[in-house]
Amino acid sequence: MNLATFRAGCDLDTGTSETPTVIVPQSLRDATSPLGKGGGQTPGNASGKRSSYDMELCASGHLPPGMARNVLTVAGRELRDAVRAKWFLLYTLAFAGLGLAISFVSASATGGSGLASFGRTTAGMINLVLLVVPLMALTAGAGAIASDRERGMLQYLLAQPVSRSEVYLGKYVGLAFALLACIFLGLGVCAGVLAWTGIGTKPGAVLWLTGLSFGLALGMLSVGMLISSLSRRASVAVGTAVFVWLTLVFVSDLGLMAGAMALRLRIEQLFWLSLVNPLQVFKMWSLHSADASLDVLGPAGLYATEEYGRGLNAIFAAGMLAWVIVPLAIGVLVMNRRAAA
Amino acid sequence: MNGVLGAILISVGGLVARAGDGLPGNDHESPRDRAGLSRAVLTGEIGKRIAGAEEGATIEIGPGVYREHLRIGKRITLVGLPGAILDGAGSGDIVEIAAEGVTIRGFTLRNTGIDLEQENAAIRVLAGRATIEDNVLEDVLFGIDLRGAPDCIIRGNRIGGKALDIARRGDGLRLWRSDRGIIEYNTLHDGRDAILWYSSGITVRGNRSENCRYGLHLMFSDEVVIEDNTLTGNSVGIYLMYSAGVEIARNRLVRNRGPSGYGIGLKETDRFRVQENLITGNRVGVYLDGSPFTAKQPGEFARNIFAFNDIGVTFLPSARGNEFSENNFIDNITQVAVSGRGTLTGNRFWKGEAGNFWSDYTGYDRDGDGIGDFVHESRTLFESLTDRNPAMRLFLFSPTQQAIEFVGRALPAVRPESKFEDEVPRMRPVEIAFAREEAAGGALGLGGAAALLLTAGAGVLVAARRDGGT
Amino acid sequence: MIRIEQVTKRFGRGAGVRDVCLEIGSGDSVALWGSNGAGKTTLIRCVLGLIPFGGKIRVGGHDVRRRGKHARMLIGYVPQELSFYDEFRVNEAVVFFGRLKGLGALRADGVLGRVGLSGEGRKRIRELSGGMKQRLALAIAMLGDPPILILDEVTASLDACGRREFVSLLSGLCGAGRTMLFASHRLEEIAALAKRVAVLEKGTLERTVDAADFATGIAVGDRGGTVVHLVIPAPARAEAMQVLRSGGLVPTLNGVGVLVRVDENRKAMPFGLLSQAGVRVDDFEVIRSDGHGAAGVHKETP
Repeated sequence: MNLATFRAGCDLDTGTSETPTVIVPQSLRDATSPLGKGGGQTPGNASGKRSSYDMELCASGHLPPGMARNVLTVAGRELRDAVRAKWFLLYTLAFAGLGLAISFVSASATGGSGLASFGRTTAGMINLVLLVVPLMALTAGAGAIASDRERGMLQYLLAQPVSRSEVYLGKYVGLAFALLACIFLGLGVCAGVLAWTGIGTKPGAVLWLTGLSFGLALGMLSVGMLISSLSRRASVAVGTAVFVWLTLVFVSDLGLMAGAMALRLRIEQLFWLSLVNPLQVFKMWSLHSADASLDVLGPAGLYATEEYGRGLNAIFAAGMLAWVIVPLAIGVLVMNRRAAA
Repeated sequence: MNGVLGAILISVGGLVARAGDGLPGNDHESPRDRAGLSRAVLTGEIGKRIAGAEEGATIEIGPGVYREHLRIGKRITLVGLPGAILDGAGSGDIVEIAAEGVTIRGFTLRNTGIDLEQENAAIRVLAGRATIEDNVLEDVLFGIDLRGAPDCIIRGNRIGGKALDIARRGDGLRLWRSDRGIIEYNTLHDGRDAILWYSSGITVRGNRSENCRYGLHLMFSDEVVIEDNTLTGNSVGIYLMYSAGVEIARNRLVRNRGPSGYGIGLKETDRFRVQENLITGNRVGVYLDGSPFTAKQPGEFARNIFAFNDIGVTFLPSARGNEFSENNFIDNITQVAVSGRGTLTGNRFWKGEAGNFWSDYTGYDRDGDGIGDFVHESRTLFESLTDRNPAMRLFLFSPTQQAIEFVGRALPAVRPESKFEDEVPRMRPVEIAFAREEAAGGALGLGGAAALLLTAGAGVLVAARRDGGT
Repeated sequence: MIRIEQVTKRFGRGAGVRDVCLEIGSGDSVALWGSNGAGKTTLIRCVLGLIPFGGKIRVGGHDVRRRGKHARMLIGYVPQELSFYDEFRVNEAVVFFGRLKGLGALRADGVLGRVGLSGEGRKRIRELSGGMKQRLALAIAMLGDPPILILDEVTASLDACGRREFVSLLSGLCGAGRTMLFASHRLEEIAALAKRVAVLEKGTLERTVDAADFATGIAVGDRGGTVVHLVIPAPARAEAMQVLRSGGLVPTLNGVGVLVRVDENRKAMPFGLLSQAGVRVDDFEVIRSDGHGAAGVHKETP
């Protein structure tokens, strides 16, 4: 259809009829629908005066899709958008690049002696994950709601038959998958290099580390999206996310160290306080599950191993789960309370 | 660290005291014991055959389960044919050798008593020149217990302890005042210690030890050769106390991670050489306390691999006069530590032109002679922090650690003193042939893991993109 | 179809709506009229359940707060300007919103064809012109054939030609039987699409009038005659009012400019006054009335 057709029906008479006369081009009326579905009668349309066009586009009944379906729809869109975004490419490249560097440095350091154990390689990977993954997940989450809100997209999206929880969770799931891809690719490259250079880090340990990294990413994404749902502007949200990242990565540790030395905290107090930080939970869980046990971490780690032993897994899992669920739940609440625009 | 050390001293001290009280050397024969054994000797089938045998005879025992306690009082060779099982029925010792030159070969011995005070053993040797060969000892409190039995050969036995709490286990192998023995190709597992008391001139070769307390423990035992042994997953690998003239070569000390968790510990030991050992995954690779004890000969550590230990080498301030050359220090979380506030003066990390390989060396080699152009120094702010305040190790492996170390490098004001120097650090690790076979078969699995991760990651991307293009 | 009961929404500075009651029956078409800040968009957002508010709104019997998803299932919404992920392709957008509306396999081409976008499916949204974006928004709004159409100043960002095309498209597609609620500043749109006009002023619903009476009623009273609707940029409107008053005319403000009654033979008089004073006029409409309640809008491009 070209614009000329529209113009043909466009010259409205300035006449005097009570309801404006509408001239619908014949081509519009007769167009057959590719849907080929019969339209359901709608409550608001008892008169049956719809055009064939209306009938054909009609959905079956007027029941909105279920929650799971909407979450998946939004998630799919978010994922597609994320993997096309610059940040995704940037983080994946940075992650894989730094991982490569660490792997090669480890390879040259061990001189290909091929000794299998927990070592600087694993430590380096843990360090890398601790730096990159929270930053990535926090900023990805921080952009999710606030930038849409700022650009009016959120309002448009919410004007559709979806609930706010669905949009929120959908975005969460979509971004989670994007982060999953990023982490898998980054650590996959590391593992590939390690395999190629013949450093025997155990494959199970790498997979486990990957899983834990994803867990950490889920928690940080949850926090990032909470920040986003509370922020009016995307720039503020991202700024806050970076601040939170700095706090979790450096400030809280340094604070805890200084506090522990100044206040002469007991070992168990130090251990439990450190567990407040999800990065520490990740780190300790990785160490705990890797070759080395937690006693690598000195007296506090020894205390943890001796006091809780196998229960540590449950403690760490609870810590990580809390960081996923609590901010997510608060975020959904905030989303449901606040105006869309 | 001091606490742990204290605990060890106390436990070792206790051991010494108990050994001194309870083990009167050759005179070990309590009346009760004798009575039990005598009955067994009289009634059992094997006992009757021994009683009827001549000096120097060889007795072969066919398959079957023999619930007997034996006392061998004449020079015979007792051979168990496959399936010959001596069962102690959960009480007392099983075999006692009271005559010189006895050989026991090919038996399965099982199920001793669990009386720690009586020290129930599978084989107790009270006379010299015994040969104990190719036996399998299962579910025993003490395994092979030599008391004043010189010139014995213990070879190819497999000794498995009882599944008891470590405090209720006995020693898999014990030599008490039994010089010039050869202990080779035995396997010990789930026992307490393999221990040498006042026994000199011993060769310990090719043995394996797993899941015990001390893989090998020397007390006051001189001129001992320890070679080609594999000690894995014990509380401590090799621990030498108050001994002198010890050669430790080509042993594998892997993942010995008990509360002290030394690969090799040396306390007040003199004249020792530690060469070509693979020391990996231990809590502390080598622990030096007051060794070497005199200045007669430097403690020599050459061509060892210290890899992936929490701490490569720990020195107590009392340890002086050690020389490290041509060792590979690979990715130990702390390569070298000094306990307390001591320094490493008096120990050297190079010998002539022979330095060590340090995986954390940051220099380079412009002239291509294989030796780094700069002295290897060890000084990181975080390490000096954890040396002083061990609880801060909790923050290991975090970006915070690196931030602190960065600050330490950037600001000379807070830069700690270097703990030690290696003037001729190697650029490449020393090739040590026997260690190579340890190379993990993990490469294939790791490649698989990599492929899995990459495929899954790429799969998500592909799915995300294809979904869009309706 | 839409029942708005005592809806109140306050923003910080007194904007928003107050005690608005409005009932829109099936097949009815109501235009919201009022200057900027009168509460048109706010009211629409309330109906869509986008912002919290006091009072009650039911759409097709569903409370928009409790069963917003069901309510919005009945609504096709076209915003002032479609803002959606720029990198998205047109096809993808159609499929995405189709899914949200419970439509299964959907061929975007057919849907796009109806709004004159056939062949544009592979384009990214950022590559579309303003008019194309609005047509895409309309196509999306019509997915699933909702009985209600809500439009929020949908032509505000289009030029004169685009506006004409869009309005004709709307009137062609929406057809009879569909319930409509829309905000507009343009009399020609009201004339083309509305049956009734709800006049909002400072957040309150002043009156609801028949669309046919409206154009004349609002500015001309019932006396008949000719009214010129001048589109003037916001900063210059106050000055324009002053200039026109001092020229002996009686101007009234609306959202995009000024309405002024003129002598049929001296329609250019306001232009003369304003150009002397240096006030810019972007666009204008001439509205004639026969004095008996019927009005027509004649649209001219300057």
